Amino acid sequence: MFLSEKCMMNCQAILLFHLLALSCLLCGVYGSNLDTDDNDFAEFEDFQDEAFEETAPISPPQAEVKQDFDDMNVAEDDFDDGVTIEVEDWDEFEGSPNKKEEPKITFAQVPHHLRPNWDSFVLELLILAGLVVYFINFFLGRSKNQRITSMWLEVNRTVLDENFSLIGDDGKLDIENPGFIKDAEHLYSLWCSGRVCCEGMLVELKLLKRQDLVSIIQYMLKPKEDTIQMTVKLDDMDSFVMCLAKKKVASVFSKDMTDISTYCPERKSAEKLNVPSNYLLMSEIGEASTALIDQRVVSFLNKYPEVIESIHISDQYSGNKVPEEGAALTRLPSTEKVVIVTLSLCGRNLEESIEASKLVTNLVLHLVDKASRLRLTREAKVKAEKNRQKVEEAFLKNTHALRAEAAAAKREEKRRLEKERILAEEDPEKQRKWEEKEAKKEAKRKAPKMKQMKVRA
Amino acid sequence: MDPRRKEKIHRYKPLSPAGQPAPSEDLTTDYMNVIGMIFSMCGLMMRLKWCAWLAVYFSCISFASSKINDDTKQIMSSFM
Repeated sequence: MFLSEKCMMNCQAILLFHLLALSCLLCGVYGSNLDTDDNDFAEFEDFQDEAFEETAPISPPQAEVKQDFDDMNVAEDDFDDGVTIEVEDWDEFEGSPNKKEEPKITFAQVPHHLRPNWDSFVLELLILAGLVVYFINFFLGRSKNQRITSMWLEVNRTVLDENFSLIGDDGKLDIENPGFIKDAEHLYSLWCSGRVCCEGMLVELKLLKRQDLVSIIQYMLKPKEDTIQMTVKLDDMDSFVMCLAKKKVASVFSKDMTDISTYCPERKSAEKLNVPSNYLLMSEIGEASTALIDQRVVSFLNKYPEVIESIHISDQYSGNKVPEEGAALTRLPSTEKVVIVTLSLCGRNLEESIEASKLVTNLVLHLVDKASRLRLTREAKVKAEKNRQKVEEAFLKNTHALRAEAAAAKREEKRRLEKERILAEEDPEKQRKWEEKEAKKEAKRKAPKMKQMKVRA
Repeated sequence: MDPRRKEKIHRYKPLSPAGQPAPSEDLTTDYMNVIGMIFSMCGLMMRLKWCAWLAVYFSCISFASSKINDDTKQIMSSFM
């Protein structure tokens, strides 16, 4: 709640900022087009000068004015200012009768954009309208995603309450907000713990980016669905790796997942397990997959063939393959025992899909119990152990080869520098001595290594 | 049988082993941020209105795709 409120506040702040920026922009546009002369009214000066009609010439009653001023002077004398005003040059006054030119009446050239004409702002209005639409979509999309999350939790609450002591961990010392953690507007995660056989279960809701209009347009061209991934970390299980997945997902997993690509790179049809034909099976130990894909799993898959994307059970899970960046891994990546079930929510019938997800949760817990209790036959165990040993040996060999290569490269570099140093020296004697020394070293290195054996007579 | 065990409660910590980045890490926020900044610089330097407006749009997309943990200051600065 706190996080969504924070987001709401952020959005409101952004909207206000935009409005402020827009008003500043408009003011700036107005201001930049005015004349920058010192005289702010320079633009209208001529207009004013020329637009006014010439009034009847005012005969300068100079004598009268002078007399008036004289009177004023008398009056002013009373104030001891001693100011006398003598008007001599009447040309300074407007409407001076000395001006004989007839005024020209012209229309003032008012700049185009100062006219109250909204046609010139069409683009800006359209862009602003687009932004408003984007933000309306943002709030609607966000609320829909929140609704889906709360619906899922409501539907699965009973199952989770019956199986876990802790439902929802916000990461704080004292859990204040149990429930889903919002990682993004379209990503939610829920941690449940306190159960037999497992350390905990992480439920990740990877929803569509309904809050982003561009993503919605993308989904119209390339449809995508909401997915839920349930990862359960097991306490203990026998050694095997298996994955039942839809064809597209299976091809991705067999290339990208470290454990699947290492232990079960072959993809086989799962039809012999009575599973729908759109699923492929990748299994290291056949009996493990046969035991786990039991009647309950098969009946669910046949009833809801589109819901489950993949079922991945492994004791060697280490995530996706890390692309090599020059430096090789010094040790094997750390592994975990996991059961990962990924399901998709059909967009057309969201409510039904969420109801079906309750059955999937039950199925996941059933698989967790079964995987923890499954005990392989002796042959299967031996086979699994052999596979793991092979992988470890191959890794060490690869690392050894890489290390040896690095050492050889370093040695070669050292020799090259030494040679350059010697060649740079002018003394031929020193050069000859160094070359002899190098030849001896080379001969010694190439000579077969033989152990000396002492034979007692 | 009740499978719940209070003594087996483990607090939440990210499950990805060996500190690997999540496989479905979304870089949309970063890309949109960078593109938005480029357009805003173009709009500023070359005085192109359409560049500035596009920058605003990209900032909005970056904001919509951003995670809660992302630095809000960076997102706000991209809006500016």
